[in-house]
Amino acid sequence: MNTTPPAASSKPGLAVTLARWGLVLLLLYGFLIAIHLMGGSIKSLGKDAAKDLFDGIKNPFAGLSVGILATVLVQSSSTTTSTIVGLVGAAKSVALPLTTAVPMIMGANIGTTITNTIVSIGHIRQGPEFRRAFAAATVHDFFNLLTVALLLPVEMATGVLERTATSLTKLFVTETTHGNFDSPIKTAVKTASKGLEKGLAALGLEGIPLTVVMLVVGIALTFICLVFITKNMRVLISGPLERAMNRTLGKSGLAGILVGMVVTIAVQSSSITTSLLVPMCAAGVLTLANAFPIMLGANIGTTVTGILASQAAETSAGLTIALVHLLFNLVGVAIFFPIPAVRRIPIRLAEGLAARAQRSSLWVVAYVLGVFVILPLVGYLLF
Amino acid sequence: MFDWLQKLSGSSQGLDKIHQQFLQMLQDGRHVFDAAANALVGGTRPDVIRADLYETDLRINRTEMAVRRGLVVHGTVHGAATFPALLVMMSLVKDAERIGDYSKNIFEVACSGVDLGDEAAVHALVQMKDQISKFLVRAHNCYQKQSVEESRGLMKEIEAFQKMCDLQVGELLRVQGRNEAPRVLTLRHFKRVASHVGNIVSAVVMPLDKLDFFPDKPMSEQ
Repeated sequence: MNTTPPAASSKPGLAVTLARWGLVLLLLYGFLIAIHLMGGSIKSLGKDAAKDLFDGIKNPFAGLSVGILATVLVQSSSTTTSTIVGLVGAAKSVALPLTTAVPMIMGANIGTTITNTIVSIGHIRQGPEFRRAFAAATVHDFFNLLTVALLLPVEMATGVLERTATSLTKLFVTETTHGNFDSPIKTAVKTASKGLEKGLAALGLEGIPLTVVMLVVGIALTFICLVFITKNMRVLISGPLERAMNRTLGKSGLAGILVGMVVTIAVQSSSITTSLLVPMCAAGVLTLANAFPIMLGANIGTTVTGILASQAAETSAGLTIALVHLLFNLVGVAIFFPIPAVRRIPIRLAEGLAARAQRSSLWVVAYVLGVFVILPLVGYLLF
Repeated sequence: MFDWLQKLSGSSQGLDKIHQQFLQMLQDGRHVFDAAANALVGGTRPDVIRADLYETDLRINRTEMAVRRGLVVHGTVHGAATFPALLVMMSLVKDAERIGDYSKNIFEVACSGVDLGDEAAVHALVQMKDQISKFLVRAHNCYQKQSVEESRGLMKEIEAFQKMCDLQVGELLRVQGRNEAPRVLTLRHFKRVASHVGNIVSAVVMPLDKLDFFPDKPMSEQ
């Protein structure tokens, strides 16, 4: 029997590590270019056409549904939120209205949890193991669903998140940073984005076809850059990630939130963080109560992608919608985390569903189709 | 200059810790075996070492669980490429944990105050005990150094030792007259088979790190 020798560790060479970090920076640059390109694409559509396009999702339930469906389709809330940031942050006359975008951001939060659920279905043949895995996956869903159920009506009635985010934006952004002066990074992003736009226009594209191609290229580039940033960062921080996970196994509370937040910011994907928890919960080495705070931290951490994307946006509205995303998740954590009895609500709901799902896989099918496909489709078509 | 960068990455750090925990299990295994065997054939009074022996065995059990948890985390973070090493380690920690279990069984025999035979028989057992103790030290070193040659040599010696044990057991079973050895041995094997059946079922009830442990039994008794 031969095993990995303790002495012969598989540490990568310095050159490989440095190359990976370089690649991540390059991908980050590509990501910002993609966001800027999306903003530019709407501009080339023209004011009236943009208004017509966005009027179709003016209803908050339609917006919420679009957010869920888009995220389910691309399996990445970071791509959805970054796209929304790019569209909201486009030139004022053509931008996606902030009020329309808020429910979409909330929808993206719900849609992202399908990745976990799919991961947990991999355990379906092992009874108790599947129950633990499915509960771990759906506790995130329940938190997001409950937070949306509470905050969307409040937001519709008062616009409190939008107003608070707008005030915060005014604090962070002055005329010098989002007006006449462009940072060197923004200038570099703008130059590359304009170059790409000119290149597409040189192919003979204009008007709506140009808009569509630019939007598709922008979304595809955003997706590709985020996927590869995530892949590389996961390798680059694997050591601390393992240590952090080991330390949080037996702990609950703020430490978990911090770990979830930091890991998600580092890998730029809440799905990666939460998907790591599913096998650990399935094996029973991590309890649902201890996994829950890590998931909350992941929800907060994922909002950094939007804030990052807003740096490439044409206007400060991009930052505002990114801050709405952050505020929404912070408020959700503030509601569901501090009081143990309230914290147990999503945990109990997830455990209850998982127990039923263990007894009959019909529950799994009904839940996944219902929450991630049928409800958003009905919401979109009806409203 | 870029050490901190390299420390951030690499899949080996978690496994290094797991290897260290396993080596500690081997050390504890040797300690608990020496203590138990000395109580049986070395003249040590069982009550003097009882607390230390049970405490060490408990530590072995806890380390096994910690290793299993570490393996789950390592596999989850680093993915499929690490699975062969993880599967090997899952098996190894089970073996290390069993050394503690069997040593406790030896201690229980010592506590029952049995007569192990004449002076020559006891002397032979003392020599065998010393040999096992050395096996444990050498196994620790072989594993730590990952020395293939030394490991092969040790495996041959252990095989010869096992044959010698089987031979002696065979002789005891064939002793004429009233001979309780066959019944004792049968009961012992029955117990082992039942234990393994219990271990299999524990996979349905217990989480991965607590496989083979029973939910209602205190850890110190497992």
